[in-house]
Amino acid sequence: MSLVRNIVSGLRSLFRKERVEGELDEELRGFLDMAAEERMKQGMSRKGALRAVRLERGSLEVAKEVVRSAGWESFMETLWQDLRFALRMLRKNPGFTAVAVLTLSLGIGANTAVFSVVNAVLLKPLSYRDPDRIVTLSGSSTTGEAPLAAPKQISIPDFQDWHDQSNSFEAMAYYNSREFAVMPGSEAEYAQTAVVSPEFLRVFAVEPIVGRFFTAEELKPGGGGALIISHAYWQSHFGGDPRVLGQTVRMFGRTLPIVGVLPSGFHFPGMTDLWLPAIGPAGGTLSRSAQNWLAVGRLKPGVALERAQTEMTSIARRLEQQYPQSNKSRSVTVARMRDEMVGDVRFTLYLLLGAVSVVLLIASANTATLLLGKATARTREVAVRAAIGASQGRIVRQLITESLVLALVAGLLGLLLAYGGAKGLVALAPANLPRLAETGVDRWVLAFTLGISLATSLLFGLVPALYASKIDLNDALKLGGTRSVIGGGMLRMRGVLVVAEIALAVVLLSGAGLLIKSFIALHNVALGFRPENVLVMRATVPRRFTPEEAQRANQVFKDVLSQVASLPGVLAAGATMAPPGHVESSGSYWVDHMPAQPDLTGSTVVLSIVAPGTFAALGIPLKSGRDFNDSDTYDRPFVAVVNEALVRKSFFGQNPLGRTIFCPFDSFKGMEIIGVVGDVRQFGPAREPMPECYMTYQQHQYNGTTLSIVVRTAGNPTTLTETLRRLTHERSPDVPVKFTTMEATLSENVAASRFRTLLFGIFAGLAVLLAMAGVYGVMAYAVGQRSSEIGVRMALGASTRSVLRLILGQGLVLGGVGLALGLTAATAGTRLLTTMLFRVRPNDAVVYLAVAVLLGMVALVASYVPARRASKVDPLTALRHE
Amino acid sequence: MADKSSDLVQGTLDMLILKTLALEPMHGYGIAVRIEQVSQGVFRVNAGSLFIAFQRLQRAGIIRSEWRATENSRRAKYYVLTEQGRKRLNSETREWGRQVAAIARILEAS
Repeated sequence: MSLVRNIVSGLRSLFRKERVEGELDEELRGFLDMAAEERMKQGMSRKGALRAVRLERGSLEVAKEVVRSAGWESFMETLWQDLRFALRMLRKNPGFTAVAVLTLSLGIGANTAVFSVVNAVLLKPLSYRDPDRIVTLSGSSTTGEAPLAAPKQISIPDFQDWHDQSNSFEAMAYYNSREFAVMPGSEAEYAQTAVVSPEFLRVFAVEPIVGRFFTAEELKPGGGGALIISHAYWQSHFGGDPRVLGQTVRMFGRTLPIVGVLPSGFHFPGMTDLWLPAIGPAGGTLSRSAQNWLAVGRLKPGVALERAQTEMTSIARRLEQQYPQSNKSRSVTVARMRDEMVGDVRFTLYLLLGAVSVVLLIASANTATLLLGKATARTREVAVRAAIGASQGRIVRQLITESLVLALVAGLLGLLLAYGGAKGLVALAPANLPRLAETGVDRWVLAFTLGISLATSLLFGLVPALYASKIDLNDALKLGGTRSVIGGGMLRMRGVLVVAEIALAVVLLSGAGLLIKSFIALHNVALGFRPENVLVMRATVPRRFTPEEAQRANQVFKDVLSQVASLPGVLAAGATMAPPGHVESSGSYWVDHMPAQPDLTGSTVVLSIVAPGTFAALGIPLKSGRDFNDSDTYDRPFVAVVNEALVRKSFFGQNPLGRTIFCPFDSFKGMEIIGVVGDVRQFGPAREPMPECYMTYQQHQYNGTTLSIVVRTAGNPTTLTETLRRLTHERSPDVPVKFTTMEATLSENVAASRFRTLLFGIFAGLAVLLAMAGVYGVMAYAVGQRSSEIGVRMALGASTRSVLRLILGQGLVLGGVGLALGLTAATAGTRLLTTMLFRVRPNDAVVYLAVAVLLGMVALVASYVPARRASKVDPLTALRHE
Repeated sequence: MADKSSDLVQGTLDMLILKTLALEPMHGYGIAVRIEQVSQGVFRVNAGSLFIAFQRLQRAGIIRSEWRATENSRRAKYYVLTEQGRKRLNSETREWGRQVAAIARILEAS
């Protein structure tokens, strides 16, 4: 009640000011008169009586002021006044305002942009119901040695035991996903497809919006087959037709009826559009070593992650004892899905956020030096205000309001910059950054921008405001001028700020330098193949698991390849299961003979299926022996080509040609080694080559139905795209194709490194520019302050050169101190980068030297202009000024 | 103006104003004089403090004001205790009595 009355009364004072003031006046005058009359009754003169009352009761003017400033509305009123005054001040100094707003908005904008990515990727809850209860169940190893290709995958029998023996979960499901060939109409295309187990949708608490989930019948081995589609696929392929149920899609040479449509926005895993039932183990014969699946679960309400983990660990330990052959040192890790999704991206993003916040710090320091400079110019104004009764707090408030206005304007502009910047970030970011598409400006981003705007306004506004409010009234008013009043302290303060700016810029620049050097190293790495002018066409021949269909697939590739090879402009053509940069399969291998218990021994090898001509097309050198050829068919002795890493690992200088290698990929037959090729960095440039065993597609037809045709061309490889598509579809219209180039694949491989290097580089560049502006500002100011001193020096015979040297020296001192501090901080700070560096150590001397030279030059250049101006000082003018 | 013991003074002044107004509605000067007279000159009320107190008490709904003619037929703002104000006065008087008694006991005990 009284709050309402307080507000109403306050608003009345604000909006009916005249009347309220009038009443107060009248009341106080009445008070005075009555008091005076009392005195006059005792015989005093009216004048004397009034004076006595004033002495006794205090000045009524003061009383009025006190009453007026007591309510909250007076705070609002002064705030309003301060705001208007601040805007007027900023308008009156357009140059200052523009520089300050621009500097700050760059800092705020860059921070907001990076934060909007952090927000989307790391902070926003997943858009499922109760997302914190959704967890992933990943296979892990108790010894720390995980399989190469898919360390987190699990087997169905293990999953069944987890599912049946645990009670922390409301639902648990396994799935896997890949691109499959689909025939929605007359021409085949790829569709991201997931195969899922019965409780899959219950994990996400999602229901089909049209139709239903798979029935128990459809989930059984030999079930009729059924398909669920995403909302997006429904819209794009069926025009959102509600009669979509019962319509069919051709996959795997079968016709699958659509039984359901999932709600808009649901695409788990990844960007899945089609879901198929996972046909359970037929007769329980599936091996525990067949780790081809991923698992997710939904915790029961109130069950902590730790409890679920403890339960799962003990189940895994039981399985280890029960099935030592397959489950030795196998365990399971339960993690919140969001944490699992973002994984190692988290560190990169937080590091970038840290780097960009350093830019904002520098921008703040820069603005603070600008404000300090302006505070000097405003000494007189502040002094006058203080002299007519403004308290120190009142002056600080006024100055802080100005900073606030500045920061808020900059924040608004920064938001606009961030809007564009975030789009750029999303475009630059590696494609595998999860949830990146959700980046945008939401209320959290807005709150962040407002927050950092307010924080920076305090950061850059408080020190100058306190300085300005502490001036010595007497001196300021007496001297009248603006020079040398508070110059000494101010200059020192500005020097400190500039040194800090340089130091921070050095830290960022060192980080950027290390990343750039490592990025260059990544580019100069010998890949083992030549990526230029290679077109990659992925194609899948749909088939059922019959020998006839596998052979048909093989024939399709063979025919297409022979046609491609004879095209004009084609230098070489081949096909591979996994173009360099990807590993499709890995396993164990043995030389000369197979052990009795193959599960326990054997070294790891990357497995690849290729067509003849692939090595030539990719530019992988043949070191000895021969390539595969068309007569290496299924009914001939099996052959293999290995890489040098495998020879080094297993043959110890012996000749591998003619020896037998066993790689249980799709058969346990031994293969004669017919050739040795050079090593390729299979996992992209950052990882050392692994032993690799190549097999020919004619002898491994089951796994050769999805291959990437690789074509080395004389000119731009992408010009062949349409020809290849036509050739393939003429041969077989049910084969979907997808194009890329080897160079594009490679660039994806280094995308993460490029992303952070580029961003770090941009931030460091901004930092250096801002620091340069800072040095320039301080030096220009110092020269202004010292112009009379310089005049005297020159009058006494100092040469232009010596004046130049004097000023440049001062700039270099600032630079040197900043550099020393910055390098010290950088050697500590860049250790954070260690995991991101490739062939560069965090204490790389060359990088630090380059940083030092660059920063020294920046300090010199920034001081040069003011120094020139100083050396042009006319002694007469300068002296007359005194 | 804002002396260090303002809280204490404020609270006390509020109570004295309420007590004065409990007898009859009164204008600002009248209240000042009454407080001085009754306290036999111990309290001398500053105009500034007095009028802030009026504003505050009004906003709290403890007193209200109206313009009336004085006995000398001058227009003046009279302050009137509200029902809420009467309750507040009672409770504050009781509380004050309790505190004074407690302090007195402490002082006597030593």
